[in-house]
Amino acid sequence: MVMIIGVIVLIAVNIILLSVSNRYYQSYGPGRIAISLIAPFQEAVSRSIRFVKDIWVHYFFLVETAKENDIYKKALSHAVEKDNLHKELKLSNNRLRSLLNFQKTITDEVISAEVIGKDSSPWFNTIMIDKGKHDGVKKGAAVVIPEGIVGQVAEVSTNYSKILLIIDHNSAVDALVQRTRARGIIKGASSDRCLFKYVLRKKGVAVGDTVVSSGLDGVFLKGLPVGRVSGVIRPNSGIFQEVSVTPYVDFEKLEEVLVVLNPKKDKFQSEQ
Amino acid sequence: MTYCFHVGICICLVLFQTTVMPYFNIFDGFYDLLSPFVIYLSLSHSLRQSIPVILFFGFVMDSLSGGPFGLYLTTYVWLFVGVRWIVTFLHVGDSFLLPFVVAAGVLLQNCIFIGTIAMFKPGTQFLSAAISTVTVQVLWAIFTGPIFLMFFNYSHNRLNRWRKKVFVKES
Repeated sequence: MVMIIGVIVLIAVNIILLSVSNRYYQSYGPGRIAISLIAPFQEAVSRSIRFVKDIWVHYFFLVETAKENDIYKKALSHAVEKDNLHKELKLSNNRLRSLLNFQKTITDEVISAEVIGKDSSPWFNTIMIDKGKHDGVKKGAAVVIPEGIVGQVAEVSTNYSKILLIIDHNSAVDALVQRTRARGIIKGASSDRCLFKYVLRKKGVAVGDTVVSSGLDGVFLKGLPVGRVSGVIRPNSGIFQEVSVTPYVDFEKLEEVLVVLNPKKDKFQSEQ
Repeated sequence: MTYCFHVGICICLVLFQTTVMPYFNIFDGFYDLLSPFVIYLSLSHSLRQSIPVILFFGFVMDSLSGGPFGLYLTTYVWLFVGVRWIVTFLHVGDSFLLPFVVAAGVLLQNCIFIGTIAMFKPGTQFLSAAISTVTVQVLWAIFTGPIFLMFFNYSHNRLNRWRKKVFVKES
């Protein structure tokens, strides 16, 4: 009887401690030490694997490369066609910009980083990168790749950082549907899917629509691609619709990322 | 020496599951490799030899993971306590029972993870994904868990034999 009570008390204490650490834990010392201890090994192993992979891909896997080459040739001819169209669009865009006296888009300073480790648990989605405080990375900085938003810096040590991916349960990105400007919050749902929450039922959202960042969260610049709408459920009651989004970023194949060092938010505040 | 062995094994496991395994799709649904190690510690080692290693690597995993701080620590400690309790009335050293012990350990870890997410992130929808993830992990654990346990045991025995040889030669 005493043992059962003891176990129950221990479980209760454990839950309270977890709850406290979940709400108030800010890693300043010990967490960083652990990252600094393990991350160099992760970096060494990752580099070795990439070296072996490169040798395999460049020297032993050329049959597949020849096939890919054919595909790329076809894709290139399509791309040339599109390129002509884009040149025309670019010219007209430039004309319109100068006409409306738009401010020149501020190009944020970014730093490229290599992914050196991934979260081993399927329940949490974080990655480790080989850039840290020394390189100017700050907690909360946006992490992107050309395809779209990756996540944001959750923890920074001297030379390494932990990135919370947008597919993690703890992640939230203010976003809107590019076509209809319907606004909502992108929340992580699983390893390959996000939920687009708090989108009003009356707003038009369709499968295939592109979702981009709204810039209102102060972390990500406006207009960065997030993903494509993969499912819409409009319930009969309630004010919101259930929208699922497939991110443009392939998190399984993520090897390099860009960390935004001077987000627009800072510039805006300094300009005030 | 035993501490060094444990720390070395744990570092290898952490590195393997955070850097090597993500490159192979087959390991997508694999379980936490430190779970069988914690089970091995609770089955074959004393409290004094196990607890510092468990606390240290629980802390390391918490630092590397995106979950609430203390989650891995909690999981490893309860796993250790659970297996210690089970061996008081069940002969778990029997190789027939090993797969089920590892599977139970992995199941316990997943239950704690899911419980924590459900508690701190109410409204999270992950039922179908959770069922498939847990099933895959448990199946992996049943088939590969005992291999890891035997490997840990074998490595430790080899190390002991080598140590004895060296000390005998020196004396």
